[in-house]
Amino acid sequence: MKYVDEFRDPAKAQALAREIRDLLATIPRARERPLQIMEVCGGHTHSIFRYGIQQLLPDSVEFVHGPGCPVCVLPMGRVDDCIALAERPEVIFTTFGDAMRVPGSKKSLLQAKAAGADVRMVYSPLDALKLARENPRREVVFFGLGFETTMPSTAMTVLQADADGVANFSLFCNHITIIPTIKAILDSPDLQLDGFLGPGHVGMVIGTRPFDFIAGHYGKPITIAGFEPLDVLQSMWMVLKQIAEGRAEVENQYTRIVPEDGNAAALDAIGEVFELREFFEWRGLGSIDHSGVRVRDRYARFDAERRFGVPNLNIADPKSCQCGEVLKGVIKPHQCKVFGSACTPETPLGSLMVSSEGACAAYHQYGRIDTSALRKRAVAA
Amino acid sequence: MTHTALQSLYPFLHGARQDAGALDRALLDAVRLKAEDSVATKRIFFERNAGKVVAMAHALAAVYQRGGRLFTMGNGGSSCDAAHIAVEFLHPITAGRAALAATNLVADTAMLTAVGNDVGIDHIFVRPLIAQARVGDGLIGVSTSGNSANLIAAFATAKRLGVATFGLAGHDGGAMVKSADLDHCLVVESDSVHRVQETHVAIYHILWDLVHTLLADARGGLEAQRR
Repeated sequence: MKYVDEFRDPAKAQALAREIRDLLATIPRARERPLQIMEVCGGHTHSIFRYGIQQLLPDSVEFVHGPGCPVCVLPMGRVDDCIALAERPEVIFTTFGDAMRVPGSKKSLLQAKAAGADVRMVYSPLDALKLARENPRREVVFFGLGFETTMPSTAMTVLQADADGVANFSLFCNHITIIPTIKAILDSPDLQLDGFLGPGHVGMVIGTRPFDFIAGHYGKPITIAGFEPLDVLQSMWMVLKQIAEGRAEVENQYTRIVPEDGNAAALDAIGEVFELREFFEWRGLGSIDHSGVRVRDRYARFDAERRFGVPNLNIADPKSCQCGEVLKGVIKPHQCKVFGSACTPETPLGSLMVSSEGACAAYHQYGRIDTSALRKRAVAA
Repeated sequence: MTHTALQSLYPFLHGARQDAGALDRALLDAVRLKAEDSVATKRIFFERNAGKVVAMAHALAAVYQRGGRLFTMGNGGSSCDAAHIAVEFLHPITAGRAALAATNLVADTAMLTAVGNDVGIDHIFVRPLIAQARVGDGLIGVSTSGNSANLIAAFATAKRLGVATFGLAGHDGGAMVKSADLDHCLVVESDSVHRVQETHVAIYHILWDLVHTLLADARGGLEAQRR
């Protein structure tokens, strides 16, 4: 398949891995401790584990899994808000599939559906709009979730609903932005990161310029990266090349998708429909200024929060769950106290174990770690 | 529009500050919601657990009636609660109430760092208990998860030494509520660490009050004390 097979060529992957090993040998810092490169996006985390990329690389460099999985960073209170909306008798609550199993403080959307709430999985916000047209006596609420990548399709659906005069469609907006979050990570006092693999699909929408501050202000190299195994390996090589040469720049490996200036139509739709929230509470990371968006006043009739009201309670994660530490790169998923024992994909405690892009789910599914200690712990518990 | 959209999406990249009015409105909303949640957490806890609070107060009063003293412990924010509990008993702020012996196990940094460094953090409360606790004393531990390993270890040691054991926990009570080494354990069933800690403060203030009431009652009137 074009644009897929050529980016999964094993011989080229081995050759790139050799190049990376040679490059690392020229970096003095890599002899003192492993270089830490954060892959911001959960899609990268998934690729790294699916294709065993970490195992291809020497111990002198390691991936740190970033916060770029929107399902994973959704705070528990917002899931409770979803359920409160979904349990209203007049509401058909629509959501992408991966959000169905994210645990709230009492239950998930899937459990709410089992208990009788009308929760339906959709593949696009336009599917939700279609449902609204087909069910004029019901209120169809779409669970808008995701980074800059999915914001445009939600925004355009609101614009479509407005143009068509669909009165029974609304949006529960939980869209978030990745750029302020990267800044928050860079401002962390215990930061040890040496560089970044930037989120390719976010870059497709916003372009490369919003990433300039990472290199310019913080002096960290970043490569906007694609998601196939050769994309990830080449991007890693590009970041290491910058470190070896003492450079800190924004480079674009994913040129087949990411234009320097982004997608004008998508950005215009975002700007038309959304405005920034003053702050947004992230699971594991806490409140980050200007990191979420809400529906502008002129589209208030499509805003489910204003239309129905939601409890909007701030619910902390269970103390045993260490999603926050994993999201900040402080520990690896398998170092979490409940990984593989109390928290599994079948019975997740934390959202990182739910989403296919979550680091814990990737570790659990593709493993390549010694789990004998985990099994012993589970037996002991 | 595109440039404007990027500016409005990432104002910090362009030197912009938050709109003061919008920020204040958002902050006021946050204050209201968190305050309502805090009040509701306390109300629900005391509606469900008032009897258990009284039972714990009786057991704490019994420690002092038999001449024992109270040890307190906790980690992080709960270590501050441990200090707070100890000072309530040591330094009563209500006139006419006796100063009661209480030792905050978290206060001795030399001991904590010595044991933490040489043996491990799970043992930091065990060692001072072994050295100081006597049969009939009391130990109260505070943990928002109920799973702090060093508290669990200390409760086991205390039980072995004949010390009465009391726990304040949160979430689902964790290992503390399941432990046979705890004589009394009050659980604030909330997932929010902040709401749990706020309720813990209310619980130990009330406990302190009840203990003094019970001790006064046990002493009887002046006539009884003269005898």
